[in-house]
Amino acid sequence: MAPQALLSPLHQADGSATYSANGYSVIGAVNGPVEVSRRDELPEEAAIEVIVRPAAGVGSPRERHLESLLRTTLQHIILTRAHPRTLIQLTLQITSLPDEESAGDGSALSYSSLPLLPPLLTTALLALLSASIPLSTTLAAALVAISATGKIKCAPTAAEMVRAGPGVSSLHVFAFSAGRALVLAESEGDFEFGAWEEACAVAEEACCERVAGMEVDGEAGNGQAFLRGVVEGKVGREMRWRMAV
Amino acid sequence: MPSAQAIVLPGDTIAPSALPTSANPNKPLTLGPGLRHIPPQTITTTIAGALSTDSKKNAAWIEYNSGRYTPSTSDLVIATVTNSVSEAYTCTLTPYTPTVTLPHLAFESATRKTRPQLANHALVYARVVSASQDTAPEITCIDPSTGKSEGLGPLKGGMLFPISMGMARRLLSGRKGRVQILEGLSERLAFEVAVGRNGMLWVDGGNVRTTLAVGRAVQEVDTEALGEKGQSKVVERVLRGL
Repeated sequence: MAPQALLSPLHQADGSATYSANGYSVIGAVNGPVEVSRRDELPEEAAIEVIVRPAAGVGSPRERHLESLLRTTLQHIILTRAHPRTLIQLTLQITSLPDEESAGDGSALSYSSLPLLPPLLTTALLALLSASIPLSTTLAAALVAISATGKIKCAPTAAEMVRAGPGVSSLHVFAFSAGRALVLAESEGDFEFGAWEEACAVAEEACCERVAGMEVDGEAGNGQAFLRGVVEGKVGREMRWRMAV
Repeated sequence: MPSAQAIVLPGDTIAPSALPTSANPNKPLTLGPGLRHIPPQTITTTIAGALSTDSKKNAAWIEYNSGRYTPSTSDLVIATVTNSVSEAYTCTLTPYTPTVTLPHLAFESATRKTRPQLANHALVYARVVSASQDTAPEITCIDPSTGKSEGLGPLKGGMLFPISMGMARRLLSGRKGRVQILEGLSERLAFEVAVGRNGMLWVDGGNVRTTLAVGRAVQEVDTEALGEKGQSKVVERVLRGL
């Protein structure tokens, strides 16, 4: 199923977005810049707070780990110096997981937190776009699985991961900025350095717009082109009154 | 006249050909919200929206309609009084943001004895005097050059309607905003409105029915992003319903 996104579904938040892909659905809300508590105040830049809430139950160290990864990644693309001594608060609620996730059959899915990272990052970015927080660039993320036989698969579905079972030897998440700079690389499992470089190249292909090609709007799998399409839809709706007679 | 739309994402570089070219080479290029200049020559965007340019003013900016209001100098805003300290009222423009100050003497013909007494939660129509990211913003209800109120001051009665910041800009930009719903409604109804750039619309129609009809009609134009034809349909329907 192609990824789907909706900008600004929530009315009370300054910015919000829902995103679903590969069975994962996340809803995100951004509030900011708002007043910051004295303890978290930074004199020259905005503090960023990320809260990840799981689909069921209360947060665990796994969510704390995802929060810290998201915060350090977003710190690099948010222009925090534009709003000193304020807080930008980002809340991400996972609303649904693929059915296979809860099966607990020993596949990479059931113990790894990496498959969650790309949908969380994409939702976070869409919510920040919706809140008009100044950013230095956009980013797109991709999950890559390397099997024990050395086969590289980009954005594997949950069903494929379960079928492979322990055959998945390593998982990688890469995030690239619009300028093709690598901003996040997280890996899990056993792999050779050559395989990592290959996986990185595959992810870059999936995330970034082709340099040579002029128009890429037809490609659903391309991260940057997808973002552009979502934003075009939103701006088009808001600017309808200009075109209307 | 602002020219056609090009949709941009944060981090896009604006090509020199997309920037306005002024007839006067000495006129500097003005960058509005959403654009930043990276020396020496690069101009990039920081928010998502539509790029607008004005060659007469030699200006470029990003048109967007979301996010939280950040005060900037000479904006008209509707502030809520939250507290009164020795020489000033403390007011809020948007929830959960640092407060702004409104000096007690910043009202028309106010002296220490005759200043208006504002209770908590009273509404004030004011202009932002100074706003920078390093100091608390200050607002005023008088025009500093004439000492007159120029329509600013406490708002009594009426009701506050939240609208989007883009709609507030449309309402305040006159003919360019293509809003004629208020003119349309005023043919049959008598009411008073105040538009705050912080996404607030204050309406006083004298009675609850008129106030609600006007406020809701403007909110509908906002959410549906209606053009002129759509607005006249809303006017017709509202006037028929009263």
